[in-house]
Amino acid sequence: MTPALLDGSAHAIATAVRTGAASAREIVQETLGRIEARNGALGAFTDVTTSRALAKADAIDAARARGADLGPLAGAPFAVKNLFDIEGLSTRAGSKINRERPRASSDATVVARLEAAGGVLIGSLNMGEYAYDFTGENVHDGPSRNPHDLKHMTGGSSGGSGAAVAGGLVPVALGSDTNGSIRVPSSLCGLFGLKPTYGRLSRAGAFPFVASLDHVGPLARSVGDLALAYDAMLGRDEADPAQADRPAAPASPTLEVGAKGLRVARLGGYFSRSAEPGAIAAVDAVARALKVAQTAELADAEQARSAAYLISMVEGGALHLERLRTRPNDFDPDVRDRLVAGAMLPGAWVAQAQKFRRRFRAETLALFRDVDILLAPATPCRAPRLGQKTFVLDGKEMLVRPNLGLFTQPISFIGLPVVTAPVWTEGESLPIGVQIIAAPWREDLALRVASALEQGGVVRAPVASLS
Amino acid sequence: MANEISDSFDPEALVDAMAPLLGLRQTPESRAQTIVHLRIAAEQAAKLLSIPIDDQEEPAPVFTP
Repeated sequence: MTPALLDGSAHAIATAVRTGAASAREIVQETLGRIEARNGALGAFTDVTTSRALAKADAIDAARARGADLGPLAGAPFAVKNLFDIEGLSTRAGSKINRERPRASSDATVVARLEAAGGVLIGSLNMGEYAYDFTGENVHDGPSRNPHDLKHMTGGSSGGSGAAVAGGLVPVALGSDTNGSIRVPSSLCGLFGLKPTYGRLSRAGAFPFVASLDHVGPLARSVGDLALAYDAMLGRDEADPAQADRPAAPASPTLEVGAKGLRVARLGGYFSRSAEPGAIAAVDAVARALKVAQTAELADAEQARSAAYLISMVEGGALHLERLRTRPNDFDPDVRDRLVAGAMLPGAWVAQAQKFRRRFRAETLALFRDVDILLAPATPCRAPRLGQKTFVLDGKEMLVRPNLGLFTQPISFIGLPVVTAPVWTEGESLPIGVQIIAAPWREDLALRVASALEQGGVVRAPVASLS
Repeated sequence: MANEISDSFDPEALVDAMAPLLGLRQTPESRAQTIVHLRIAAEQAAKLLSIPIDDQEEPAPVFTP
């Protein structure tokens, strides 16, 4: 095999393993070598599951020798944000405190499903503490660093997932997204990210943050890989009471249908007000390619963001209250003080937020009677510098950590499926993402549009050159 | 509604009342940062509460027994 295979897609790796052009063991060994060489700079991996990965690779090679079916991800390496259970590891969820938890007795459902499809788990990835983060910085493990410029943030909280995929360590990683934690690092690291519909993929074995809003999903360097990983994770799981009882609807079979015939609009108003010109230009480029003429409004988007913000504070504060009480000095202070504030908020605000959530859902579903896809910036700006605490948006100085998700929060608030697609603008060294938003349960449409844009060269997710 | 909240809200008093109720120990630094986050939360609440919601409206989560 050639090292270039690891810069390509999971699909290409699986094809090479199936045809015998490469062995699964070679792929894993090369991947482990890359992690050894690059992880110090990237801060992506927090645990590398070397012996497990080699054993799995050998099992795949043996299965091939027997002529067995190897699965769609045959031998393709993947890694997961360290809030997913991995058998034998303590699920740290970016924290110091959770390292004292008992080792997980089994894998999270989505990890098990990727392995059942032939994927090879390589390890767990850095993240913002307890997922309450949009920066990818972590006071305990150090920051994950943006592979396209190591002085800049990956975005978070799935920061290690962004660093690992954009840095060429693995072709696919799993993240979680409560308010934007897949979409923000996808935007800042120049990756494709899929936040599926709320309730679509099992959250069993993923450490929670905000039960009302938590989602899990993949990040990848190609739309095909995004769909491949998503399809492999589909299916009912009785272990997740929040999962919707819906039939699995694989997206790969329709990926090549393209965007033709789909009604696409860009979101105006709130989604253009606080964005830097680069974020707007990225949406312009995508809209131009799709020949989008209409603009749509989500009139209450700002309030939707506020409601998501408050639900997150209160549910997060409640989840961690006992730890805040007994272990305050073991938290990242930036995370702790937000959680403490959340524990103190009036219940009436959250009750109102949950009522408003249903209202906003109805308003948005009405919009989807006339359009199939909505476009919006994923982040208000390109990756801020590591350590940067504030930025100025719309003439107002704001904290970076809570506000990088300004445009993602109103969308996940009502659980809509979104593919983030990365745009590179000439003269810029960093990418920025565009949200391709579909109606509930129509991940297939968002992926079709992303695929058409990828085919047209409008969006792309290259491995960073770390020189 | 919006201005009523932001004008009358006293995050210092809230922190000092709630910390002992919740059993939370606070350093001066963490108290100061908690106050910053409470102010932001109040701004967000003011936006949210500016939208009238009928008594009959159902919240989003529905428990299915």
